[in-house]
Amino acid sequence: MKSSNDHPPKWADRFLEWYCKPELLEEIQGDVYELFYKRIKEKGTETARRRFAWDVLRSFRLSTIKNFNLKLSPVMIKSNFKIAFRQLRKQRMYSFIKIGGFALGIAACLLIALFVRDELSYDRQYEHVDQLYRVVGTFKDDGDIQKGVHFPAPFAKAIKEEFPEVELAGRFNSSELFGAGSREVRREDATQNTYEEGFIFADQELLELLEIPIIQGDPKRALAEPNTIVISQSIAEKYFPNENPVGKNLILDNLTDQPQRIGGVMADMPSTMHINYDFLMTMSGVEFWPGEQEFWRANNYHTYVRLQKNANTEALEDKLIGILDKYLVPSMREAGNVDADKMIEKLSFNLQPIHQVHLHSEGIHDRLSHGDIRFVWLFGAIAGFILLLACINFINLSTARSANRAREVGMRKVVGSYRGQLISQFLTESVLLSVLSFVIGLQLAVIFLPFFNQLAGKSLTIPWTAWWLGPILLGSAVTIGLLAGIYPSFYLSRFKPIHVLKGNLSRGSKSAGMRNALVVFQFTTSIVLIISTFIIYRQVNFILNKKVGFDKEQVVLLHGAKTMRDKIGTFKKELTQLPEVSSATISDFLPIAGTKRNGNGFWKEGKTQEDSPVFGQMWRVDHDYIKTMGMRIVDGRDFSVDMPTDSQAVIINQTLAKELGLDDPIGKRITNTGFISEVIGVVEDFHFETMKEDIEGLCMAIGNQPAIVAAKVNAGDMDSFIPNVTKVWDQFSPHQSIRYTFLDENFAVMYADVRRMGRIFTSFAILAIIIACLGLFALSIFMVEQRSKEVSIRKVLGASIPNIFRLLTQDFLMLVLVALVIAIPLAWYLMQQWLQDYSYRIDIGWDVFVIAGIIAIFIAIVTVSFQALRAATDNPVKALQDQ
Amino acid sequence: MKQMHYFYFCKCYKMQRTYLGEFEELVLLIVAAMQGEAYGVGVMEELEKQAGRSANISAVHAALRRLESKGFVESGWSEATPERGGRRKRLFSITAAGSAALVQVRDVRVNLWRQIPGFTTNISLT
Repeated sequence: MKSSNDHPPKWADRFLEWYCKPELLEEIQGDVYELFYKRIKEKGTETARRRFAWDVLRSFRLSTIKNFNLKLSPVMIKSNFKIAFRQLRKQRMYSFIKIGGFALGIAACLLIALFVRDELSYDRQYEHVDQLYRVVGTFKDDGDIQKGVHFPAPFAKAIKEEFPEVELAGRFNSSELFGAGSREVRREDATQNTYEEGFIFADQELLELLEIPIIQGDPKRALAEPNTIVISQSIAEKYFPNENPVGKNLILDNLTDQPQRIGGVMADMPSTMHINYDFLMTMSGVEFWPGEQEFWRANNYHTYVRLQKNANTEALEDKLIGILDKYLVPSMREAGNVDADKMIEKLSFNLQPIHQVHLHSEGIHDRLSHGDIRFVWLFGAIAGFILLLACINFINLSTARSANRAREVGMRKVVGSYRGQLISQFLTESVLLSVLSFVIGLQLAVIFLPFFNQLAGKSLTIPWTAWWLGPILLGSAVTIGLLAGIYPSFYLSRFKPIHVLKGNLSRGSKSAGMRNALVVFQFTTSIVLIISTFIIYRQVNFILNKKVGFDKEQVVLLHGAKTMRDKIGTFKKELTQLPEVSSATISDFLPIAGTKRNGNGFWKEGKTQEDSPVFGQMWRVDHDYIKTMGMRIVDGRDFSVDMPTDSQAVIINQTLAKELGLDDPIGKRITNTGFISEVIGVVEDFHFETMKEDIEGLCMAIGNQPAIVAAKVNAGDMDSFIPNVTKVWDQFSPHQSIRYTFLDENFAVMYADVRRMGRIFTSFAILAIIIACLGLFALSIFMVEQRSKEVSIRKVLGASIPNIFRLLTQDFLMLVLVALVIAIPLAWYLMQQWLQDYSYRIDIGWDVFVIAGIIAIFIAIVTVSFQALRAATDNPVKALQDQ
Repeated sequence: MKQMHYFYFCKCYKMQRTYLGEFEELVLLIVAAMQGEAYGVGVMEELEKQAGRSANISAVHAALRRLESKGFVESGWSEATPERGGRRKRLFSITAAGSAALVQVRDVRVNLWRQIPGFTTNISLT
């Protein structure tokens, strides 16, 4: 009848007996027991047990807690500190390892905390932050989900008119197609052009919506007039030092007939804003083609809204679709698309709170550089683990050395020390260590901050002036000290004086299980980090060395050639005359991220009504493009100057041919509503976006895109090429300095974030290993000390040095092997997850695990060997003579 | 000077009044009614039954301890009881001071009730 559950929870009962005043215990315990048995009958065992625990917790009051004899008089505190300092000094080696490991861990944590804080602080600075949203559109097609932030030009105005919830609606256009991005800039009264980046077209309303502070000029009308521009403060200081730039003119790309009047100077956009531009050109009076501002079938505008307070965003998201029914559908019908309604059904809208844009934009194509909430979590987790590793060292060393302090504990107890006093003694020691470690850790963090900034691509500073910094640091130091000290102090203070003083304390072996588990944990973490580092590096190398389908070596890109206008053809001719140049091409569309892109629908000729379009890129190139880029024609032929009809022809890539269902594409005709062209060649697929994405369809046609000139340079001629090309450039564009980059470098920049990830992992892996090794090293010292007599006797009886060495290292080796067994599947799973991001990725080979395992074992053996060898080669007399 | 005055006032206030909180008064009444048989769980159940108040046992204990320290109740131990795992009950009974405090509280109340026009009470005063 009586099950094992018919008694109250043991922990609650013990807790009650522990804290309760003895004179109250019988009454309280009796009453809660009585209630417990009554409740079993009325409400069942489970409820009774729960209520019992609740009663015990509720009874935990000041009036019921016994006096714990924590007589922390000033004298005792002073004595505690004195003993703690003596211990530190006496055990220099251990103190150094404890404090050093701790300080390293704390420095790493501080840096990561700064990073995480910075990531979380994006877009919080607005007064109306809770009312600001970015509009995100979702297109669902057969399970394929695409999210975008680009909308038609009249969209913002339409939603503001239609929905009263929308207080403000602003947009910007950052597309290089229309002249945003980078431009050549000069003052109207200067002749020398300077290359500047960070141009966008924006509405006056966007200024207001994003609460961009206008320092000079009229905030209400800074962008209101046509041909006005707002520049950032740092740009204003660069071009108009000690002047008021408002009302002055800037010339962009030598377009002297269109001077841009400065309508205002804005404060530099803070680094914690998800967009960062220096030049805002007005949208007022701008039309990129006739009727563009009322055109619904082109999506080029980032759209932001400010809603009324407490507006129902979900309802508004649903209603937004109505706008498309009203405007987009008629427009599509007009253009002859009968399936407009079906198309609309696949669309939906989301309002993304502005403070989520930075970290929660995974999968949204906005061509902005973002953080990733997963990295924030990952970094936080790594910081936590490193701190944990450091704490484990502390715990392990303290319990391992218990034998050395057992006599002290015994003596103290014999002369009348309470357990509480001993606990407070040990806690004082650990808090002191922790505070010291924090001081050193803070120093380390200051030293390493510049490196870390480089590593993470940030410009972080330690907020010395913030009022909360001191309290938080001190609070954490004390808390961590207490947490790390709890187990050792309870463990040490538990010793019974009679056992200790008789000398039959099992010399620290009682806690060996716990200690071993902690060592395994440390090494598991280290090994996971080692394996991850390896795999990340392999993936990076794979990407950087993969055959990308074009030849990125020896190609120099000359930027900003647009200002040459019609002279650019001659420039190209001159360029090819140079002995170093094998060929040159003019095109803004290059197979590296950040150059010009577009999106188009393609059909087979005459199938526009029946088939759904195949989406892809439409690139304007010249006759020498494929040759210069080293791309390979797999079918048909390249563009030829001798064939005048080629101006109407296209070359497509394999993907587009496949997606259009063209088995034999040569001579077939394809259309993009605007034109019908004959396919004359098929180019082998090449990567023109990062390898996180699949290769998209691509169609090349002859056209004029004159901002970038690319030159293929003969091997070994690069040194003489640069001065020669500069000479040619200066003839054509004397007022603008030459600006060149190398295609392979631009290519590498595309993967900067992957490399950064690799470097960060390496740093943390090294750090984790150092901390784990410090711990292992100290443990090995301890172990050798403990077994010195055993070793000596074995030697006297004839054990060889290798025998002794194996005896002393095999235990540790076992721990590392166990860690390896745990770490391998864990690391495999984690890295499999990470690799999912890449469409083109490596397979995780078994050799990674073998190498990581060998490294871990090697490091562990080397760490332990120092001590093991010392013990094995020492003269046995030394250890034996002292008794 | 002003501060001195304030402290003086507080002292007077404390000395003159019998402090009896509403919950304490209820518990004290139950202890009186149970005539020497009152103990933690018993008082708690009476509270539930008679006043419809469900209180945690710890609250009852706290009230009883406060009453005892004010001298309104006194306590002694019962025999060991099997339903409490062999533990004894602490039995409470009301003291003379406790009775006096109850009477004083009641008098104040009745007096006030009487001053409300059109409101007769059928409490007979002894």
